[in-house]
Amino acid sequence: MITVNKPLANTFGWLHGNGTQIEAPASTEEITLTAAAGEERIVALPDSPSARITVSVAENAVLRLIQVRRGGDGGVCDIHVDCAENAHFEWYRVVLGGAASYDNCSVTLRGDGSSFLTELGFRLGGDERYDVNCEAIHLGKKTRSDIHAAGVLRDRAFKILRGTIDLRRGCAGSVGSEMEDVLLMDETVRNQSIPVILCGEEDVEGNHGATIGRLDEELVYYLASRGVSREQVYEIMAQAKLNAVISRIPDEETRLLLTENGAEGETI
Amino acid sequence: MAGEKTIVADVDRSFYDFRYEEKDAFRVAEGLTPAIVEQISREKNDPDWMRAFRLRSLEIYNRSVMPDWGPSIEGLDMENIVTYVRPNTRMSAAWEDVPEDIKSTFERLGIPQAERESLAGVGAQYDSELVYHNVREEVAAQGVVYTDLESALRGPYADVIRERFMKLVPPTDHKFAALHGAVWSGGSFVYVPPGVEVEIPLQSYFRLNAPGAGQFEHTLIIVDEGARLHFIEGCSAPKYNVANLHAGCVELYVGKNALLRYSTIENWSKNMYNLNTKRAKVEAGGKVEWVSGSFGSHVSYLYPMSVLAGRGARAEFTGVTFAGAGQNLDTGCKIVHNAPDTSSYVNTRSISKSGGVSTFRSAVVVTERAENSKSAVSCQSLMIDSDSRSDTIPAMDIRTDKADVGHEAKIGRISGDAVFYLMSRGISEEEARALIVSGFAENVSKELPLEYAVEMNNLIRIEMKGAIG
Repeated sequence: MITVNKPLANTFGWLHGNGTQIEAPASTEEITLTAAAGEERIVALPDSPSARITVSVAENAVLRLIQVRRGGDGGVCDIHVDCAENAHFEWYRVVLGGAASYDNCSVTLRGDGSSFLTELGFRLGGDERYDVNCEAIHLGKKTRSDIHAAGVLRDRAFKILRGTIDLRRGCAGSVGSEMEDVLLMDETVRNQSIPVILCGEEDVEGNHGATIGRLDEELVYYLASRGVSREQVYEIMAQAKLNAVISRIPDEETRLLLTENGAEGETI
Repeated sequence: MAGEKTIVADVDRSFYDFRYEEKDAFRVAEGLTPAIVEQISREKNDPDWMRAFRLRSLEIYNRSVMPDWGPSIEGLDMENIVTYVRPNTRMSAAWEDVPEDIKSTFERLGIPQAERESLAGVGAQYDSELVYHNVREEVAAQGVVYTDLESALRGPYADVIRERFMKLVPPTDHKFAALHGAVWSGGSFVYVPPGVEVEIPLQSYFRLNAPGAGQFEHTLIIVDEGARLHFIEGCSAPKYNVANLHAGCVELYVGKNALLRYSTIENWSKNMYNLNTKRAKVEAGGKVEWVSGSFGSHVSYLYPMSVLAGRGARAEFTGVTFAGAGQNLDTGCKIVHNAPDTSSYVNTRSISKSGGVSTFRSAVVVTERAENSKSAVSCQSLMIDSDSRSDTIPAMDIRTDKADVGHEAKIGRISGDAVFYLMSRGISEEEARALIVSGFAENVSKELPLEYAVEMNNLIRIEMKGAIG
């Protein structure tokens, strides 16, 4: 009998999909967030080097979690969310650097009609690394997940986005969607994307789209014809990608903070 | 209409299920040992280097690990697999010289008829050996070489083969590549000289008749500068209640500004473990086009890979996978952009029904050297019922800013609106659903020569008649 052993050596584990596991440090901060039935909450958490966040969203409740990483050494953030019937969870995550950052956000859409939205923005340069896993597990009927990611890589930055939409048997009427838009600014950057859709139910929709690379040449040409240099076009578009995520953050204070402290308008 | 469903039946493989009593002249013992590998080597009258290559591959096989990321292959026990079965005949270039039962097999599969009507040459393999090989005179007159690999190993192209055999897929690539290196037998060698355009396709057909056997054919194709070729491979086997194994290997060398289209209609029986490896290297301005239909096998691991090695090289992959009851088909492709101005386009469809599992798995790698490269991947999956599974696992690894990479994937079911529209035009619901499923796979069928498109459509459509309930 053949015994199943270790994985095949491969380019970057593409055959394994999103199976990688990262261990959190021992000093991990434990945080529990809840939204009671019918409640609507916005929680802006201060950045923490290492956090494990457990979120419970009750029936008809809404919880919006906002997190900004401003650089430094980076860290590990491990989020597990459970959504009851018609519950809605949103995760706004802006990563403005960090030597090595690891994020995991796993959302279980247990209740019928529950939903999940991620708005992920990143701006990485130097030798920074960002590894993010975002997973939506659809169990309830008519559930919905939307994973949106947009960002910019510069210098020797490395980013991997592992997104998984897991449409389990019984989640009839559910829809999962994932969009990624990455602008690469230097020839030494490295971008990896593994957008996985797992489907065990017939009556569902799963969609994924990704655009990775440089700007559309026609756009660059158009703006150049208006007197904007190629470098300026890239700077403008890079900023626009991040601004688009920041503008959707449902907390004015965070938005202002990001604007005033250089997430907007700064040359990256 | 809510809740109504069309039952889409499995692909009907009974057409391929006939079998003849085994009259093989020689077979090795079950299992895999150095003695068995040496015995195969002696039987095949290998040159010394090949004998050493086989034994080295066996060593690599023994120390390689099994894949742990795909469908289960625990039902495959190499101790029970016969790696070499020689039919009771020698290869012939005259159809009348082929033994009656083998001839009848290929006639029922329509091979001689296809040869007469639409092919430039045919190779037919029965178990471990080619039994028939022929190429049209006018094609041979152009300098095109199409022969069995064993003959080529001892002919004027011996050095060319030695230089390239298992260089694209080395035995160290994975466990079943090593197995192939140790026990390979049969397969074809094709050489198309510079500038020669082979206007009608060549075809190899692989038939595995012996229960509990493995087939390990090796296909090596060289399309030289500016040449063009369309090569078709087909494969089938009758169903047995013991596991059969297919671990073939395809190596394609596409020269500068050359074009090679490699089409496969795979219809192995449902006791088959199809662990096949295919790889192409494309030089500057060249293009490889993969057209792949996966309908058979109990388990498949199949990811044709294209290495775009020269400036402006291109790759296209068009595939359809149909996984029915008892099937777990893990298919996809891998493309490595390793030169400037390269481009790739991947367009796949998969259909899952009656508990079948289909997985699309792909990787696009754009290296630092691949400036101004473009890649677009599109994969769509159709779930016919909730007993089935359909997974999409695409990966992208981009290492330069001067690239454009796009990807889109969709999983869904048959659109109620589309069915309703067709019904409003007087088509019954049953027919409408069948039409939609059939049209879903059109990306592949439209790329095949008419005769093969018809065969493929038959595979999908014949059994799509079904009750609504």
